[in-house]
Amino acid sequence: MFSRGSKAPAAIALIASFLGLIFASNSTLDYAAHLDRRLHDVHCSFIPGAPAVAEAEACRAAMYSPYSALLKDQYWGGVPISLFGLGAFCFFAAFSLYVLMSGERTSRRTLGFFALTGVTPLLVSLLMLTISLTQLGQVCKTCAGIYISSALLAFGSVSAWLAARSDGSRPTSSLALVAAWLAALAVTTLVPAIVYAASVPDQRPYITQCGEIKVAKIKGDSPVKIHGVRAIQPAILFEDPLCPTCKAFHDRLVTENIIEKLDIELYLFPLDSECNWMLDHPLHPGACIVAKAVLCGEGNSRQVLEWAYAEQEYLTRAGKAGDNVLRAAIKQRWGEGLLRCVDDRKTDVRLNNHLHFASENNIPVSTPQVYLGKRRLCDEDTDLGLRFTLGQLAPEVLK
Amino acid sequence: MTQAMDPTPPPGSGAGVGAAAKAALVGLAAGVVLTAGAALMVRSWTASAAERLVEPEKEKPKVAIADQAEVAYCTPQFKQVLERVLHSCGLSGEGEGARRGCKPADVKTFASISDDDFNALFTPLKDRGGVIMFDEGRDELDDKAKKLLEERWYDRKGARYFFVVARASKTGSQSKNNALSHRRANSVMLFLTQLANDPEIEKKVGLLWLGNEFAQLSKEYCGWPNSRPDEKCDEEPINRSAFVSWVDCRL
Repeated sequence: MFSRGSKAPAAIALIASFLGLIFASNSTLDYAAHLDRRLHDVHCSFIPGAPAVAEAEACRAAMYSPYSALLKDQYWGGVPISLFGLGAFCFFAAFSLYVLMSGERTSRRTLGFFALTGVTPLLVSLLMLTISLTQLGQVCKTCAGIYISSALLAFGSVSAWLAARSDGSRPTSSLALVAAWLAALAVTTLVPAIVYAASVPDQRPYITQCGEIKVAKIKGDSPVKIHGVRAIQPAILFEDPLCPTCKAFHDRLVTENIIEKLDIELYLFPLDSECNWMLDHPLHPGACIVAKAVLCGEGNSRQVLEWAYAEQEYLTRAGKAGDNVLRAAIKQRWGEGLLRCVDDRKTDVRLNNHLHFASENNIPVSTPQVYLGKRRLCDEDTDLGLRFTLGQLAPEVLK
Repeated sequence: MTQAMDPTPPPGSGAGVGAAAKAALVGLAAGVVLTAGAALMVRSWTASAAERLVEPEKEKPKVAIADQAEVAYCTPQFKQVLERVLHSCGLSGEGEGARRGCKPADVKTFASISDDDFNALFTPLKDRGGVIMFDEGRDELDDKAKKLLEERWYDRKGARYFFVVARASKTGSQSKNNALSHRRANSVMLFLTQLANDPEIEKKVGLLWLGNEFAQLSKEYCGWPNSRPDEKCDEEPINRSAFVSWVDCRL
């Protein structure tokens, strides 16, 4: 594709590395910003350097997912993998510059090293893309920016090697030099992560500062019980089956096998003004009906809840289309009997009791709300800081 | 693609070796600068987050807190009367000796309010509540009364307290009517107890019986939702009643 001696492949690799640097920096910046336990906008654009935005669900979902960081038990939020990308792109930017400047004086061994290592970000990107598609069901634009940069880098580095493969006039270089570059790549890749890990603020004083449940038991009614197969930790959850954050939280509990160690008392708290007087407009239209379906699930309540989460997009659309569409969806999946229960006045009363239980406890009107035993987990500890917080407050849950 | 015009010295020549060394140095320097820059950037981000962590948030986003309903008709005066009902008529009382309900003399005393003003306070509850009608001299609930009561009871929404204000018409003696309105209030309470099967019902339902001596309803109240909408209504039948409603006020 490129002629012998062409500098274009190295230039492409250099541009790709800088693009990768920008996307990896944005991703790391978003992660680091959340270490203050506040809400922040998130960078989520194909355009390098585009400002952070509030509507960035896919990028937020990726950030909160278990795949976004390493060592989540040891560090609050973990050590984001974008840091390794940041370090690696630093190395490849410098190495591409070197290859670009040295031109035909670059040895074939050097270019072989460049090609071999230049595809590693692409391999990691392919792995992360697969995870995004299969586990998260969506691809965040910033991540996609890194994937595209990685692909360009791989293209540039491999093309540089291919163009020089048959060029016998190039000088030779020693294997020791290759070993040194490899070491430099390793060090450069690790440096940002080490600096991050060494400087993240201690979150331990904050994770116990979000209060306790005021009234531990509902009077005259019962919660939905979700008893994990190895349940050792009591937990109280307030959830809305049509709330994306609840779905993401539930998915994290399932993916990380935490749910099986919890003895959950679930209270339904639909953010739908149809039944929830605490809202003046429905945030999730139809959530009251789906919440009643979960209540009617009785022994199958967990299955109904997980069905609602799995079909959340469809049910949300159905909820907006009207109650009958939603009822039809419930009937189709769970049958006439469950739908009759949904329409029963007693179920209205049960749901109302759950909402009153929430109001007696003065929970924040946002979902999910999570109590580990009696202690309320701060919202930020239910997403980015979940594993770290569980590790501190209920370490046996992570074993 | 493009053929680069590279005026590079031939590999192996002295100038070539020098240029290669220069490229290596530039590459090395770029690597060090970029890595150090990335490390410093990361360090500044975490340090900045750490600073914000210890500083109180200036414009903390306000999050609504779950609570009982509080609607526009919950004026201070209305709440004052209801609170007196709560305290004086036993809803907030616990343990032995807690009183259940308020008789006319109690209401007159604690409400400290004229008859008309007392009734006016309940005007905003016109559509939320209902008037349960009784036969003359009777305290039994008929089927329509039970139906209306059931509808109103199940339409709780965010209310914490359910008020029952029983009355008797002018016909008959004051003491007889006091007792009659008391029985009417109790009939409502008994029905609700059976309906709700709620161990906490005593703390939710406030009973007032006014006999015929306080806050009688005028004929205008015949237009309120009641259990006998098809029957002739005037000041006699409308006061043979119990007004029931959930109250959407935080008390």
